[in-house]
Amino acid sequence: MERAVAAAAVLVAVSILGLGFYLAMESRFAFDRKFGFGFRVAAQTGDTAPLDPVGMDPNASLLASNLEGAEGVDEKEDGIFAPTLEELSGVSGTATGTLLVDDPKNFKGTLFRDDWRLNKSAGEGTTMLFCAYATPEYKERAIRIAWEPDASFDPKLSPHKLTLRLVRAPDGVTLDPISVDLSTNPKGEIKVPTWIAKSDDQRANGYLFALEAEPQTNNFFATLGAFFRTSWDPTLPYPRFGLLPLLLGTLLITLIGLAIAVPLGAGTSVWLSEVASPKVREILKPVIELLASVPTVVLGYFGLMLVAPAMVGVFGSALRMESGRNLLTAGIMMGVLILPTIISVAEDALRSMPNPLRDGAAALGMTKSEEISKVLLPAARTGLVAAIMLGFARAIGETMIVWILSGGTATMPQGRLSDIGQPTRGIPDTIGIEMGNVEFEMPHYGHLFLLGLILFLFTIAINMLGHYYGRRRQWQH
Amino acid sequence: MVGTLVRPALSASNVDLFYGNNQVLKSVNFEAPEREVTALIGPSGCGKSSFLRCFNRMNDRISGARVSGNITVAGQNPYDPKIDLMALRRDVGMLFQKPNPFPMTIFENVALAPRLHYGLKGSQLEGLVESCLKKAALWDEVKDDMRRKNGLELSGGQQQRLCLARMLAVQPKVILMDEPCSALDPISSEKIEDLILELGQETTILIVTHNLQQAHRVSKHCAFFMLGVLIERGETEKMFSDPQNPLTADYITGRFG
Repeated sequence: MERAVAAAAVLVAVSILGLGFYLAMESRFAFDRKFGFGFRVAAQTGDTAPLDPVGMDPNASLLASNLEGAEGVDEKEDGIFAPTLEELSGVSGTATGTLLVDDPKNFKGTLFRDDWRLNKSAGEGTTMLFCAYATPEYKERAIRIAWEPDASFDPKLSPHKLTLRLVRAPDGVTLDPISVDLSTNPKGEIKVPTWIAKSDDQRANGYLFALEAEPQTNNFFATLGAFFRTSWDPTLPYPRFGLLPLLLGTLLITLIGLAIAVPLGAGTSVWLSEVASPKVREILKPVIELLASVPTVVLGYFGLMLVAPAMVGVFGSALRMESGRNLLTAGIMMGVLILPTIISVAEDALRSMPNPLRDGAAALGMTKSEEISKVLLPAARTGLVAAIMLGFARAIGETMIVWILSGGTATMPQGRLSDIGQPTRGIPDTIGIEMGNVEFEMPHYGHLFLLGLILFLFTIAINMLGHYYGRRRQWQH
Repeated sequence: MVGTLVRPALSASNVDLFYGNNQVLKSVNFEAPEREVTALIGPSGCGKSSFLRCFNRMNDRISGARVSGNITVAGQNPYDPKIDLMALRRDVGMLFQKPNPFPMTIFENVALAPRLHYGLKGSQLEGLVESCLKKAALWDEVKDDMRRKNGLELSGGQQQRLCLARMLAVQPKVILMDEPCSALDPISSEKIEDLILELGQETTILIVTHNLQQAHRVSKHCAFFMLGVLIERGETEKMFSDPQNPLTADYITGRFG
């Protein structure tokens, strides 16, 4: 018998460790994450041209811009090469091309118009080279070199120090060195004297600008740093894997749940254990324990159909709710979910307090309420803490209720009361929603496992805390 | 039988006690003198503990307990429906068979009730705790760590003395003791007995014991119960040397019990 128990304990310990190990192992794909350059650079016409946005396609790269007929060029060009002079003939304008070179000393190569900035990791000190030139028809004295971050790219989130540098001016042009720190100047332009490419081969001989990325940390810490950020949006071209809105969503829903379930649960358990007659207790206790086994999806739909509209009706304007699916509704149903667990465990804890303790308090002339509040509750605190911990652990990993009732938007709370009326999203439901359509063993997949690992560590930590409390000296019979 | 006392601290007349349909005490008439130790002796199940618990109505906590008859303790009738039971229990302290300190620090164990009942705090409270722990002969053993150490970390004998100090802190006029040494070793028992003798100088003590030697050592008066009936009552010396009732004689000489 003892052997079987020991074997079971070892099995449990091994599976917990194994689970943690598995989560950690799968999380490694998160660290394959690539941090792109995130900036677009383009040559634009003239000194007089209005300040146009650099891009034609906000997310793609840009090679030729502000060119008369540039749209035509763009449409014509579905290949990967930069526009040839022939394609640009009859057009007065400027163009850039992306030059891929293996040897940075030798700039001869093919000009591409396609864009690798997104997929190319800037992490290893890579540079992107841009050629800038004008077509023979171009009459103005200067070319503007303009840059801006890609639409979904936040320069502040980049783990690199990005610099735009003039690598080489074309023959016959003398210029002071140009070096722009893109973190302080994320959007801007400089002017350089016009240089005209006379032939296709010459295009690469024009101005050569480099987008240089100097890593401030290695990819591991960069990924971790980006993980503890305030925005979760994995589908962007530059995905954001910020854990904080999800963690806060989960914690706030749990806290609201506890704020409802702990006082109610404590009151009910005290009443059941100390006040109610044995007959009432015998009927109510199993009923309450039965409530704990209601499928959460049922509770979720109950909340969606009944509680959510009621919330809008009562708090709609006060908390500026746009929908009944929000933090408050999810939190309230979370409270309903964990209430039976808390009552049941807390009642057991109180009932396990021996009668001599109650007699001792009564013999000192304490009233029933003094006996409960001054002696029994403090004496049973380990069990009561265990009840709260159990409720906490149950709530923090709860998926269905949050999925159905939270509204599903990962938003950062603003520190206002009306936050609790806004849609949110938690960690477990995010894993549930996104795991189904994530690319296997890609960074997004890895980040979902990282979320799972965080959740796992949280519950382990809570259990350890509960255990630590539980080991402190209990009443001895 | 001794005559009626002029000023009994405790008295009972025609007391019947039922637990459900089971009659535990049968028309008991009893008196105990003020500022002396009175022992209740008798074989197990004779009702002496139940009788003791009538004086502070701890029997109320057993469902189905019913008491009839007239009881007086510290000048009050505990079964008077108008009585403030909590105030009565402050006047009538009780020490239980098994030490039952609260699972909190030693200091808190003693300080809890006076703070709650009399609103004592600060140095006043500390002074009371100190004097009670001294009266319970526990002060020297716990004074250094009484604010850190949990009452449950003490030995059994220390725990019982802590319970005594806890009870003294409420300043009871009458003390009920329900076999206070039965869970203790002889040395701890001796300490408690010394305390009983000392406290008996100024407080009325009613002690239930199954230990005849103990009854002999600590009590001035004695009452012998059997099967819910008070068989004999009198001065301990006299009862032990010259019992009036043959049942008492048999019990005291160890023929049964």
